Amino acid sequence: MSTRVVVTGAGVVDGHTSGLTSRLLDETEARRLSRICQFTVAAARLALGEAGLDARGDLALLVGTEFGDMVSTIAFVDGYLRGGPVGVSPLLFPHTVMNTMAATTAIAVSAKDLSLTLNTWTVAGELAIARGAAMIRAGRIRACLAGGADEPPPKVVQTIREIGGGGDVRSDGAGFVVLESLESAQARGAAILAEIVGMAWRALPARPHGIGRGADSKAIAAALAEAGAGAEEIGHVYTSASGDAEREAWEDAILDRALAPHQPSRRALSLAAGRHSGLAARVVVTAAAEAGDGLALVHAVARGGNQVAIVVAGPGARRERSSPRPTTERALA
Amino acid sequence: MKSVAVTGLGVVSPFGAGVKAFWEGIASGSCAIRPITLIETEGFRCRIAAEVPAGITGSGRRSRADRIALAAAREALDDAGIARAERADAALIVGAVGGGMMETEAWYWQRTRAGAAPMPPALTSCFPSSHADVVGSALGLGGPRETIVTACSSGAGSLALAADLVADGVVPLAVAGGVDALTRICFMGFNALKLLDPAPCRPFDRDRRGMSLGEGAAFVVLEDPRRAKARRARVYAELAGYGMTGDAYHVTAPHPEGEGMARAMRVALAQAGVAPGDVGYVNAHGTATLQNDRIEARAMRTVFGEGRVLVSSTKSMIGHTMAAAGSLEAVATVLSLVNELVPPTARLENVDPEIAFDCVPHKAREVTVEHAISNSFGFGGQNVTLLFRRAG
Repeated sequence: MSTRVVVTGAGVVDGHTSGLTSRLLDETEARRLSRICQFTVAAARLALGEAGLDARGDLALLVGTEFGDMVSTIAFVDGYLRGGPVGVSPLLFPHTVMNTMAATTAIAVSAKDLSLTLNTWTVAGELAIARGAAMIRAGRIRACLAGGADEPPPKVVQTIREIGGGGDVRSDGAGFVVLESLESAQARGAAILAEIVGMAWRALPARPHGIGRGADSKAIAAALAEAGAGAEEIGHVYTSASGDAEREAWEDAILDRALAPHQPSRRALSLAAGRHSGLAARVVVTAAAEAGDGLALVHAVARGGNQVAIVVAGPGARRERSSPRPTTERALA
Repeated sequence: MKSVAVTGLGVVSPFGAGVKAFWEGIASGSCAIRPITLIETEGFRCRIAAEVPAGITGSGRRSRADRIALAAAREALDDAGIARAERADAALIVGAVGGGMMETEAWYWQRTRAGAAPMPPALTSCFPSSHADVVGSALGLGGPRETIVTACSSGAGSLALAADLVADGVVPLAVAGGVDALTRICFMGFNALKLLDPAPCRPFDRDRRGMSLGEGAAFVVLEDPRRAKARRARVYAELAGYGMTGDAYHVTAPHPEGEGMARAMRVALAQAGVAPGDVGYVNAHGTATLQNDRIEARAMRTVFGEGRVLVSSTKSMIGHTMAAAGSLEAVATVLSLVNELVPPTARLENVDPEIAFDCVPHKAREVTVEHAISNSFGFGGQNVTLLFRRAG
């Protein structure tokens, strides 16, 4: 039987938690790190603190992001445009690579297992959580921080709108869940916030930045199969709706078809708060808390076709699930 | 990890389009590092790089990096003989850093200096994830799609993540690789860090003065070995293990003892069930910076013992191709197993006495190797080692 994956901590730093960041950083971090790196380190510490996990060395890190540290990238470029070659800052240069948040966070929390930065539109945080859960389930890593971080510069968001990249309402923030095996969590007496019982990510047919014409979803079916659950067991769905009407209509059509004839209620945290990749952490624990002893689906789809489905069980759910069909068998079928 | 079969290869390199041109270039020890033509270099200390030569086809609406990626991925799928109908469940994992930044920079430069500039169509490809969306859409790859950014180890990391999906049976096959085109940001940044040699780089040389930049893409098709056997596919090699570790030490500098690098190599060996003495060749990260080459050598000595393996650096011929480096060097490693020939380290005159290995200077070495590894390391202490086994 494959490893059961649970959430034992969560931390989100964004507009709803203003003032918190400075209390979670030391003086050097507060002085040297860029704003988005500060958010990321703070969110990681919040999540680890809640989990009560000191996994030094064994901890992996998965950071989803749409924009990376684009604010620093623009500052780096502007330095050259203002001052020529002597205006280029060697200190800003590492921040132009999207893994800068993962790099600074790995140092801050001594995460020495693998560290992944995953870049994609809309679904980056959900993808990081799904990837992390799959790695624990397969026994590749022992524990991880998985989530995301974003600080979209307003002029970049405006440009994306102008070139047809969608009208999502975005915000700044970072967020992580702590994922580990059920066995590990129980052994150290950790409180369990949620169980990730199924996860899958696939690409739907669509042009880059485009909305697909079809509504068939392979990811939801695969996540449900992994969970050993039927669509009728899903109590509610958290979607990735965040103000892009075309994409939201597509997501509704995908969910209608995948879960039919069942019609669980749908909500989206990003509609109220604005979307950033760390929000996925809050969505997962909120969906699980609401699920109680049932199941919820966390779903996200991006322009261009990237789709993630995560089936979560509430902290009260301790039932033995029916064994999912082995993945090898599914792949070769 | 269960081994996965490498059944297709595709490359666009500074030697031109195609695996054949790439192998002929590196096997002969040629150096493709020349004066930069793609971007302005006035006022910078280093003004050379290994550019992909003209002739990469594809829509001008796409970024240069997208076109390079698409050409390499298409070659890999064609080489593996994967028909379009078989691609619906195939995964696509792309390692990327610069995205389509080259076109975005040009637009931003013009807008800033002139006050206004028309938006080019390629502006939609600014971010690294663009390559996966373009390649996946154009080639009909409908399985899991990911873009991994682990700095200069991104290309190698893409193969590792793809191997997971195949080994775990999530997908029957995966296309994986890295891509990067030259960008002003990268060129200016490494110049500002004073890590670029004004002359073509000389990895492992006592007198080395830094790295050279390059650009390109390489993709491989990874497949379930049973599936490959059933369809009688050509198997180049097996990806038998990988190690991905973090230094958690410094944003730009590697751990001084190479602790994370050594751990990545050991994890790869353990995954593959291979003893250090069974590895005959290391395609090193070998950037030619003073620090990297010495620390990598230290890590290799810890794992393999002094002088126990052949070591060479592909970067001596094509420069450091950033996110593409790990996958281009993976292809070089696979071809060294297939062709029983270890590519050389070009321009290596006097080996640094602290690098206690046979670094295969100037001329390729004919040798049959059963297992070979490819090392890739990146900013943020991101270490990836891929271990390949000769096809049985």
